[in-house]
Amino acid sequence: MSNEQAEFADFFRTSWEPCLRAVLAVAGSPQLAEDQVAEAFAKAWASWRKVRRHPAPNAWVVRTALNTGASWWRRRSREMPLPDHDLTAPVDLGGGLDASLLTVLRRLPARQREVIALRIFLDLDTETIARQLGIEAGTVRMHLSRAVTTLRRELTATNNHGG
Amino acid sequence: MNGHDDISATDVLSTVRDSLCGMPVAGPPDVEAIMARGRAHRRRRLIPGVTGAAAVAAGAALAVTALTPASHLASPQPSHPAGRQPAAAAQLAAWTVTKLADGNISVTIRELADPAGLQSTLRADGVPASVTFASQQNSACRPYPGGTPTQAPQPLQATTLLKRVFPKPYDELPPPPRRGSARLVPANGRPSGPPSPSPDSTVIVIDPSALPGSAGVQLGASDSGSAILTPRVVYTGPPCTGS
Repeated sequence: MSNEQAEFADFFRTSWEPCLRAVLAVAGSPQLAEDQVAEAFAKAWASWRKVRRHPAPNAWVVRTALNTGASWWRRRSREMPLPDHDLTAPVDLGGGLDASLLTVLRRLPARQREVIALRIFLDLDTETIARQLGIEAGTVRMHLSRAVTTLRRELTATNNHGG
Repeated sequence: MNGHDDISATDVLSTVRDSLCGMPVAGPPDVEAIMARGRAHRRRRLIPGVTGAAAVAAGAALAVTALTPASHLASPQPSHPAGRQPAAAAQLAAWTVTKLADGNISVTIRELADPAGLQSTLRADGVPASVTFASQQNSACRPYPGGTPTQAPQPLQATTLLKRVFPKPYDELPPPPRRGSARLVPANGRPSGPPSPSPDSTVIVIDPSALPGSAGVQLGASDSGSAILTPRVVYTGPPCTGS
């Protein structure tokens, strides 16, 4: 294995899980998320000389995976229109906080979900998220604030119900 | 107020992260499979519109290169004038021309760039050549009888002339109905083989001694697409092969 291959393999091993979790938080279906992330890593290897110099290669993978998913959905939607396609096939967590949080997360607007996913799973700062999503840092902060407000409400409700 | 503002944004994000990180997710697939998939992406990007006979030839060449044990390329040389000693090599980022000990010329293409440079290098090595990486061929070149692959019946049929002039890929095209792995490793007794390329490159081997007197080689676009991977034998002439 060449140095380049070893470098990519190391990146792949360490980044697979956080990238998958980030995409899963946004995309919904675990199988679809796995496919999207695998495809994104394949594209990363195809452009590794560029991606390895990227300031946040795992963010590149997540963004590419989400774009890939959007592309797949666009193709599928021509055959089977789904008005709320992002919310299909939720993970069955058997109820509880995880399930309710995930449900709330999935109900957030797409951009808010992306911002949350990049922040909590890839630990990216506001400026990096803004560059990744091609939006202003102020817009990132706005999405983050609104998402946090919604999630906080859910957490509070869950805590209250739990006594 | 219902009290939910008591939880800080940091706490909210931490709680969500901790909660969702407890979810089971699939482990990573085999990295080799991912890299193979990536190489397929790269090939599609490298050779847009590869179709028909060119696709078959490309597939054969790439199948060979992907399964041949890796080795390093010949030492880089800044230039490769004609009449040099065997095994001299001209290596650029986009392609490498290597003169083998048996007189064959190995062309390893990594990117479709600098066709004029490749054409000059081949001509300097004594191979009348026309190289075009654009989406159209040099229309001044006339096909030599038996110098163009046919695709009917499937799979790609290479003529004896093509197999002799281009041992790779044509002489290594898998025989129907299945690809024999033994053919992936050249067993032609040549004193040295072409440099083993990376899996993302394509190798064409030219045997100049197999060219008829009035024939040269053409590397260029297919009739229907924009692939480089259709080596042909053409009549020589100043507008085509330069001599």
